[in-house]
Amino acid sequence: MDELHDLVIIGSGAAGLAAGIYAGRYGMKVLVLGGEFGGETAKAGNIENYPGFASVDGYELMDAMKKQSEALGIRLVDAKVTAISREGHCFTLEANGKTYNANAVLFAIGAERRRLGLPNEKELTGKGVHYCVTCDGPVYGGKTIAMVGGGDASVKGVNLAAEYVQKIFLIVRGKEVIAEPINFERMKKLGDKVEVLLETSVKEIVGTQKLEKLILSKPYKGSSELVVDGLFVEIGASPQVELAKSLGVELDESGYVKTDNLMRTNVDGVFAAGDVTNHFGRFKQDITAAAQGAVAATSAYEDHKVHGDLCVLHARPVGTSLHV
Amino acid sequence: MKNVTIYTTPTCVYCKRTKAFFGEHNVAYTEKNVASDSAAREEMIKKSEQMGVPVIDIDGTIVVGFDQPKLAELLDIKA
Repeated sequence: MDELHDLVIIGSGAAGLAAGIYAGRYGMKVLVLGGEFGGETAKAGNIENYPGFASVDGYELMDAMKKQSEALGIRLVDAKVTAISREGHCFTLEANGKTYNANAVLFAIGAERRRLGLPNEKELTGKGVHYCVTCDGPVYGGKTIAMVGGGDASVKGVNLAAEYVQKIFLIVRGKEVIAEPINFERMKKLGDKVEVLLETSVKEIVGTQKLEKLILSKPYKGSSELVVDGLFVEIGASPQVELAKSLGVELDESGYVKTDNLMRTNVDGVFAAGDVTNHFGRFKQDITAAAQGAVAATSAYEDHKVHGDLCVLHARPVGTSLHV
Repeated sequence: MKNVTIYTTPTCVYCKRTKAFFGEHNVAYTEKNVASDSAAREEMIKKSEQMGVPVIDIDGTIVVGFDQPKLAELLDIKA
């Protein structure tokens, strides 16, 4: 049994660590349980729109937030939360075989990258099919790759991979690419190196030991077969809501954790921030995640001032020793 | 001391996490950047039969990705 925390933050991305910094400065006893350190920000590659940094690597930015958190006495544990339960205003969490207790919980758990859902996709993951272009894009030096997705992340991925690969096909299901103009212009400057295939999707992934080719929904140069060495999937992410749902947290119509404007959920003592919510709609940025984390931590602090001792009263039989 | 080689790319977050983990536990390692070293890339693909990074070779045992429990086990690192 672990000690009792004022707040446990689930997730160590921009939302979770910003929340940790704020809660730490409020003097709260905070534990961050981070399944994957840095979240999406750490995998984003170069970030040029986080105020104060003309250009910063996503991992370095998250590492700086981590160090800032730790300097405030925030405890970070690399552990994936697998279960959570609530009794009154007291929460119990299970992670990596250990039990943690908290007066309040903040879901900053983010979203999980979507797969195409095609046969062969899983078998060929790492063998031509990839989900992290900042990681594996540079492995394809001098090769031909395809990037699936019509949003800003896929365009940024194209721009990064273009430093290494010979040719990129950007496969977009919709009628247009929707990206930040600065990133879109950079992609345009790559010229013939990038070909954008609009209103096209991947129907089949072909290969045995490794990826050999794709079958497209719409012919390219008279053929529905596209021979590529690598396929990178950047088609967005689905919020990780199962733990929140198990506490009775309400979701919105799109399946995200529903919050009010102070990042409070419908369950007393439960807060949410970042990509697990749809607070700013499709506009999911490091700065919006961090801002939500700050607001959620402030709400948790306000809640703590009122309910701070309730966990002890609720969950502990008389005579049980407390390590506080 | 175990012979540790890590195959990386410069922008790979899991490579950075693995190296940070090695640093925390004073594990000496050789790094090979497969983005700039094509021979290292071929070596990595041959060893791991795949193209994702990081790949870690610990005395001939291959680990793909930042698999912290597996690395800790192979390097005799106690939690």
